[in-house]
Amino acid sequence: MDEQHQHVISIRGLVNRFGRQVVHDHLELDVRRDEILGIVGGSGAGKSVLLRSILGLHGPNEGDISVLDHPIRHHEPGPHKKWGVLFQGGALLSGLTVQENVELPIALHSDLPVETRRELAVLKIFMVGLDLTAASKYPNELSGGMRKRASLARALALEPKLLFLDEPTAGLDPISATEFDQLVSFLHANLDLTIVMITHDVDSLFSLCDRVAVLVNKGIIVDTLDELVKHPDPWIQEYFGDPRAVRARAAARRRSASRRGPG
Amino acid sequence: MSAYLTVEELDGLMEINLRHDWVFANLRELQETLDEIEPVAHRLVRFQCGALQNFDLAGAWILYERSMDFEEIGVKTEFENFRARHFKFLQHIIDLAAQKEYIPGFFDPKPHHYWRDGIRGIGANTIEAVDSVGYIARAVLDGIKRPSRLVIGETIRQVHATGAAAIPIVSVICFLMGVVLAFQSARQLEQFGANIFMVDLVANAILRELGVLLAAIMVAGRSGSAFAAALGTMKLTEEVDALRVMGLNPNQILIIPRVLGLVIALPLLTVFANAAGLLGGAFIGATVLDINWFAFTERLAITIQVNDVLVGLSKAPAFAFLIAVTGTLRGMQVKGSAEELGRLTTMAVVQSIFLIIVADAIFTVVYSRIGF
Repeated sequence: MDEQHQHVISIRGLVNRFGRQVVHDHLELDVRRDEILGIVGGSGAGKSVLLRSILGLHGPNEGDISVLDHPIRHHEPGPHKKWGVLFQGGALLSGLTVQENVELPIALHSDLPVETRRELAVLKIFMVGLDLTAASKYPNELSGGMRKRASLARALALEPKLLFLDEPTAGLDPISATEFDQLVSFLHANLDLTIVMITHDVDSLFSLCDRVAVLVNKGIIVDTLDELVKHPDPWIQEYFGDPRAVRARAAARRRSASRRGPG
Repeated sequence: MSAYLTVEELDGLMEINLRHDWVFANLRELQETLDEIEPVAHRLVRFQCGALQNFDLAGAWILYERSMDFEEIGVKTEFENFRARHFKFLQHIIDLAAQKEYIPGFFDPKPHHYWRDGIRGIGANTIEAVDSVGYIARAVLDGIKRPSRLVIGETIRQVHATGAAAIPIVSVICFLMGVVLAFQSARQLEQFGANIFMVDLVANAILRELGVLLAAIMVAGRSGSAFAAALGTMKLTEEVDALRVMGLNPNQILIIPRVLGLVIALPLLTVFANAAGLLGGAFIGATVLDINWFAFTERLAITIQVNDVLVGLSKAPAFAFLIAVTGTLRGMQVKGSAEELGRLTTMAVVQSIFLIIVADAIFTVVYSRIGF
């Protein structure tokens, strides 16, 4: 694979300011093809602003962002057909059923006959683990976990190469959260997907992410988890020294050990 | 042949070589190409997938579905030379199809039963109307029995928001209505040399009917919609529930101040509307029709009685009540979705204007009967 395709997202010299408050100060980030990158940071560290900048929903003060070799500009269309976004609250259109929600991007970006569009939508809905009954319901009739799944189906409708997940497991009970992590991992294994996810769930971080980007001091530190836990930054130390993080890390280590099998 | 496949026919065997990108972007062409293939004379169709470049779920699905079509007419199908990753897609599709069943036509719109649905709609609306009357009656009763200190401040705020803030727009509209009435009546009266009676026409129309009616319609558009949208949003974001669990009665905090505030504000607003309307008439009289300001006021004093003003003003509280009740009730009925909010807000405005006109007709008939 040639060099320019190595990086699915590349951010150079990103500066975001709100009044006097500087959120990002010449931030640089490269996302590699086929990886799962987690983004963490304290509240107000600028996770959402970073995501919104990448998606072209927010115009940064300075800096260049390119996604899938497509330069991102505020208010200009991005690579819509190649990316999918799972918003935090799901952001399903409340006036449409789940099936109509998933069918919408397909209808907007193709000239396929109705029956084909519908079958494709249903395929995606099945893929995220929902059934026809759920597909015919309106978003407000679904539980939080189902809504996230439906929203994921919509994000995957156009076979994207790049998937953004904004706090995918927030507000889910631990069982649904684990199931959702498994689903993401399954999709990543089966589709050519690069995944960028903002998360606070240390379990998802340790079980899914190849690398983690930590937003600290207006900049970003990107590394594998094994390296990050040794990083001297106080916020990182506190974050990964937290009992929950320690437990999640131990659990992840056990899992990968059992996967490798005895001997 | 097509860019995506070539077909070789051997003895009893059809070999289809897949090429290029079998991905979502090319789906339409892929589907058309696949549909052209006629495997009838063969016992076996073999898909050669070695030359395939990109492959995604949509491409895999369409391939699998066509192969199922072939199987259905008794033609065996097989796939060869898949790359591991591509094969995984296909396997995934087959697994999905095995686990879950898609029923064609499941999402087709259900047939409409106009008569049945229409009658049901009338019934549902009637129940809803009765329910609403009870609801508002209880809210008002609650408010009287246990008045809350919060109500007074909120009521004053509502009087300002629905009344004082609407003075400029209502005044401008009524001024223009006065202008229009003066012009139209002058055109008729000129033929008889009775220009001065323009004052009678303008003053009666504005004071008895149009001042209050225009103010009410304007308020229905401004505040009725605002009530419905504000309460509807509060319902959606669970603010109403939050009030309830804090021990505050949402009816008291949300509905009573709005109803009370508008009932106070609209009569006051009507005074401004009336004044502006008369001013519009007088303005045209002085500038176009040779009726100077003095002549206008003199004629006004002769032709207008106190009860003409009272007729107009007496309607205002009734209209205000209708607007506020419709707006707040529709807002409280919002459930679930943003679309519902839009629908009920529209409904609030349309229904309150409708009710205003109906009430006005009733007022006019009753007043003319009793000679008020």
